[in-house]
Amino acid sequence: MDIQTTGLSRRFGKVTALHSVDLSVPGGMYGLLGANGAGKTTLMRILAGVLPPGGGEVRVGGHDLTTGAGRTAVQRRLGYLPQDLGLYPDLTPREFLDYVGLLKGLDDTRARRQQVDELLELVALSEVAGRRMKGFSGGMRRRVGIAQALLGDPALIVVDEPTAGLDPEERVRFRSLLAGLAGHRTVLLSTHIVEDVAQTCQHAAVMAGGRVVYTGTVPDLVRMGEGATWEVVTTTGAPPPVGVVVSAISRTDGTHYRVISSTAPGAHAVPAAPSLEDGYVALMQRAPAQ
Amino acid sequence: MSELLAVGRYEFRMQVRKRSLWLAMLLLAAVIALTQGDRGPRYTEAGAPAREVMAGWALLFGIVVPIGFGMVLADRLVRDRRLGTTALLESLPVGPRVLLAGKYLGGLASSALPGLLAMLVAGGYETVHRGDPLMLAWAVLAFGLIMLPGLAFVAGFALVSPLVISAPLFRVLFVGYWFWGNMLPPEFLPSLSGTLLSPIGDYPVSWLIGETALYAGVPGWLSFLRPAPSGVSVLVSVVLLVLVGLLPLVVAGTVFSRQRRTA
Ligand SMILES: Nc1ncnc2c1ncn2[C@@H]1O[C@H](COP(=O)(O)OP(=O)(O)OP(=O)(O)O)[C@@H](O)[C@H]1O
Ligand SMILES: [Mg+2]
Repeated sequence: MDIQTTGLSRRFGKVTALHSVDLSVPGGMYGLLGANGAGKTTLMRILAGVLPPGGGEVRVGGHDLTTGAGRTAVQRRLGYLPQDLGLYPDLTPREFLDYVGLLKGLDDTRARRQQVDELLELVALSEVAGRRMKGFSGGMRRRVGIAQALLGDPALIVVDEPTAGLDPEERVRFRSLLAGLAGHRTVLLSTHIVEDVAQTCQHAAVMAGGRVVYTGTVPDLVRMGEGATWEVVTTTGAPPPVGVVVSAISRTDGTHYRVISSTAPGAHAVPAAPSLEDGYVALMQRAPAQ
Repeated sequence: MSELLAVGRYEFRMQVRKRSLWLAMLLLAAVIALTQGDRGPRYTEAGAPAREVMAGWALLFGIVVPIGFGMVLADRLVRDRRLGTTALLESLPVGPRVLLAGKYLGGLASSALPGLLAMLVAGGYETVHRGDPLMLAWAVLAFGLIMLPGLAFVAGFALVSPLVISAPLFRVLFVGYWFWGNMLPPEFLPSLSGTLLSPIGDYPVSWLIGETALYAGVPGWLSFLRPAPSGVSVLVSVVLLVLVGLLPLVVAGTVFSRQRRTA
């Protein structure tokens, strides 16, 4: 299911969370990057039919999300992981997934139970499937959330920071899982972890201050850092006076700084090949959030 | 329909597992049962029909058990917000009215269970004590006719009001309301006690025991709500209690549907 928004906006009182957002997500795995408060969650809540848009158009798979019928049609084929998903402490993961499955319209009891067990296996929760979720660790809760989003073979998966709180191994496992699912689906992934996007997405959008400031391929976003990514070694320990430091590593010969700057940050600065993070930081420097 | 049943079933399951539900209501029931004075149902004269004895028990439990019931239901809807499950529920293809109705049915059924259990224990006690097996049957009947309609009435308000005034404030106000609306003599202050809308079951009890239980039919404020107790007025009272209890849910359902549609 493709996503099309035109002039999409949304305010909360005086705060404008989305300013006339035009976004076109074709299908496959799509990354959504942006600083805190950029509007990612607001956009995703609108796409999930949880929040009514303030103005503009939103179409998902051709369905108009501003109508009740369109919203229900999208929600039938949606898997959504909210940013701060809470769970019912007095249910077990198996029961919780069964409940969500029932509400998603998976009426065939046997098929539903089987799917629930498969998903619990997939997120490595089979061993605690019968334990009440009260007292589950952050990562375990996250995995229950991920599993429920995959119930019912959704055509659109909207996951809001799904890898936050997962240990590195689990994060890597989960993002390859998502990438594998993206084949004939649309997966919209928001994250602060640029590496998640670098490893899985073909396309990405960057939001800042409620606007979309970049849409395009991930390699093109990396290229934003070309000519702006530098390595500087200092022996004094003080960071270079210009640019944004993206990393600093102390070695025996001094501190190695990786710096994003449109001009060389010092005489000994050496140009470096950008990563996605460098491209992202360079972009944010050029188009600062207002 | 299957969604409604699913919400009801899981709401029931979650609520039944809460220890506070059983503790709060059974403790209240035990205290009132053990401290009843010599006008209490335990001391109904020997040979009294099971109908009268068990109606007396239902009225006795009605003094405090619905208070526990209102307390435990008060956080059922606000808790979705607190736990952070609201966004997920709203992203599912189920309307807010179905969610509300399911939570009402599941919450009512689960939270009424300790009340039914208290009646069964009382019925069992009376069966042994008085050697009349009809006691147990009347325990169930009295529960259904006297306690359940009042609990349904309370359930609607206990679920919805805390969304507006917070659960702690609702709980405080509710206790005050319970005594004012059920047990305050109507000649004393304008009050809903003794009216068809008295959820303690004044009308059905009065009808079953053949005399005024508390104030049913006693003249007072809103006289049109104070007919003489009879089979008909019992029916009207039961229907009114259930319908009025649904009002807050209808209002909440309308508000939630509108909130989903417009920013
Ligand atoms: N329910 C709300 N009420 C008031 N303001 C809100 C609400 N939801 C979002 N906002 C505001 O809208 C803006 C965008 O928030 P949003 O949660 O969409 O950002 P985000 O990109 O998801 O941020 P983060 O990376 O921190 O999750 C913020 O300024 C936020 O304060
Ligand atoms: Mg967010």
